[in-house]
Amino acid sequence: MNLRYLRSELYYQKRRTLAAVMGLSIGIALLIVLNALSMAYRRAARVPLQEIGADVTVQRSGNVPKDLTGAVFPCSAVTIRDEEVKKIETLPGVRGIGRAVLLWVFDSNRAWIVLGVEQQNSVGPSILRHSVIEGRFFEEGKPEALVEVSYARQFGIKVGDTISLAKRDYPVLGIVDASRAAKIAVGNVYLPLSEAQRLAASSGQVQAVSPFNPADVNLLFIKADEERIPELSSALRTIMGKNATIGTPDSFLKLLGSLFALSDKFTLAASLIAILVAILISFKTMAGNITERAREIGVLKAVGWINRNVVTQLLAESVTECLMAGFLGLLMALVAAYGLSFMNVNIPIPWEMSPRPHFLPGGGDQIFKTLRLPVHVPWTLASFAVLLSVVIGGLTGALLGRNISKIKPSEVLRHE
Amino acid sequence: MNNGTILRGTDLNKRYGDLEVVRGVSLSIDVGEFVCLTGKSGSGKTTLLSLLSGLEHPTSGHVELDGKDITSATEDELALFRRENVGFIFQSFNLIPTLSAWENVALPLFPVKMPGEERKRGATDLLKRMELGPRLDHLPSALSGGEKQRVAIARALVTHPKVLFADEPTGNLDSATGDAVLDILKALHIQERLAILMVTHDEDLAKSADRIIRMQDGEVMS
Repeated sequence: MNLRYLRSELYYQKRRTLAAVMGLSIGIALLIVLNALSMAYRRAARVPLQEIGADVTVQRSGNVPKDLTGAVFPCSAVTIRDEEVKKIETLPGVRGIGRAVLLWVFDSNRAWIVLGVEQQNSVGPSILRHSVIEGRFFEEGKPEALVEVSYARQFGIKVGDTISLAKRDYPVLGIVDASRAAKIAVGNVYLPLSEAQRLAASSGQVQAVSPFNPADVNLLFIKADEERIPELSSALRTIMGKNATIGTPDSFLKLLGSLFALSDKFTLAASLIAILVAILISFKTMAGNITERAREIGVLKAVGWINRNVVTQLLAESVTECLMAGFLGLLMALVAAYGLSFMNVNIPIPWEMSPRPHFLPGGGDQIFKTLRLPVHVPWTLASFAVLLSVVIGGLTGALLGRNISKIKPSEVLRHE
Repeated sequence: MNNGTILRGTDLNKRYGDLEVVRGVSLSIDVGEFVCLTGKSGSGKTTLLSLLSGLEHPTSGHVELDGKDITSATEDELALFRRENVGFIFQSFNLIPTLSAWENVALPLFPVKMPGEERKRGATDLLKRMELGPRLDHLPSALSGGEKQRVAIARALVTHPKVLFADEPTGNLDSATGDAVLDILKALHIQERLAILMVTHDEDLAKSADRIIRMQDGEVMS
């Protein structure tokens, strides 16, 4: 292979080189963008759960309480027994569990969404300790309350006040702003988990719908090994029964409804089409280029180039063009990814995970988590795409080179 | 093959399907001999040149160059044989448009493992001999017809061939430029005792040769 010849050919045959490089680079850019978009939607779908440090949420749906008075369970979140939680803790892939109790408390003059949270846990709603904007978080075992900032403003509740929930008094020791932190596992009022369990256990409405012991909960948040989530999800259904609602990144992805979010199969099919188009474009352009050069190949052979010399030279040209196309495609994809990263994506929160009573004004409205589409081109994808270009170049060059190298110089040189 | 014969074709035949282009041709060329192959268009001159130069296999018959029978050589063996033994000059120059004059001359040496400087020196020396010293880095598109053919001659000589095959080398040139190219060939023949087989349909041009071989309908007439 002669580098000087290679460089001259690529430089002086600009139109030819540009056509080959541009065609393939568009295919490569398409491949990268499609996969980056698909990954971005997957990443976005994880955000609602990641916000509370979890990968999976577990609830169980049950009956609607007869009377909406005192403390009740939302029908989408009834009792998860302590022994079930203990079984879940031992499942393969589970790295941590966060527990919570979600209650709706209907007092005579006010309705509260009460969330009982653990005092200290990196999984689940206790991470709201980082969202306390005034006062402080709970201390272990004390009957204290935190109030959501918007609710506190609406009803003029301040740190130091005492609020009454289901005929129990709780001093307000802090104000929480969870609005930016999470869309699921939020409430108007936060109590220590043990207090919420006590409220639930002592509520006749709760017990009538779903027997509840003080150690039970009705929301579970699981930190899990990403690759074991599908297997874990199925094990959770076995433990929890048919009424279980298992929230996973995949279930959020399905709610997104985008083609890219719908299935891996779509991305795979689209990627394959992009690769195929890239190969075809590359092959067609280079086949045209090489056919144009039949006479030149004839000259090379006439002056003593053997088949291997011709193939190596054409292979080097093809690989170089495709490598350039790979880098150009990557550059185009990076620019496109940067542009797409300004796009907002609205992730719908399933109604089962929405803590608000749907029968209250505005309660039935769909809640969305809105975020910038996190489009990134990972180095693995970038490397794969560039490598793929080189492989395409190698295959195309070898195949076409081998074919044209069989040409007999007398056949192309005799027709002067 | 006697000591003076460099190229010999024996009972050469070439068929393309039903068409017999060369029929029972036998000829030999001595070292340092300048032979012209003439004949009308379609008489089989270029095909005979292809057979004798190893560009093409004969349907039957034998070709020996410098004592070696190349009739049954493979395509790659023929290519190597051509590189080491023969040089070509074509009517339409057949220069590579993306390579400079000196790179075109060095083209046969590109696959040869040798220092790049040595390759360039060999090519530039030849171009200087062809009075193309100031044109070393010019692309073919920047050269005149005569200059292109001089580059092609230099390319044919860069591997120090034993026989030079020229197929209508002045066919694309005006008469003055053609004469100049012919002078170069004659000089090479005289100074370097290079055997030359030149195909031409121009009888006047053929008169410059030591010997004229006339072809008609695929056969040698004289």
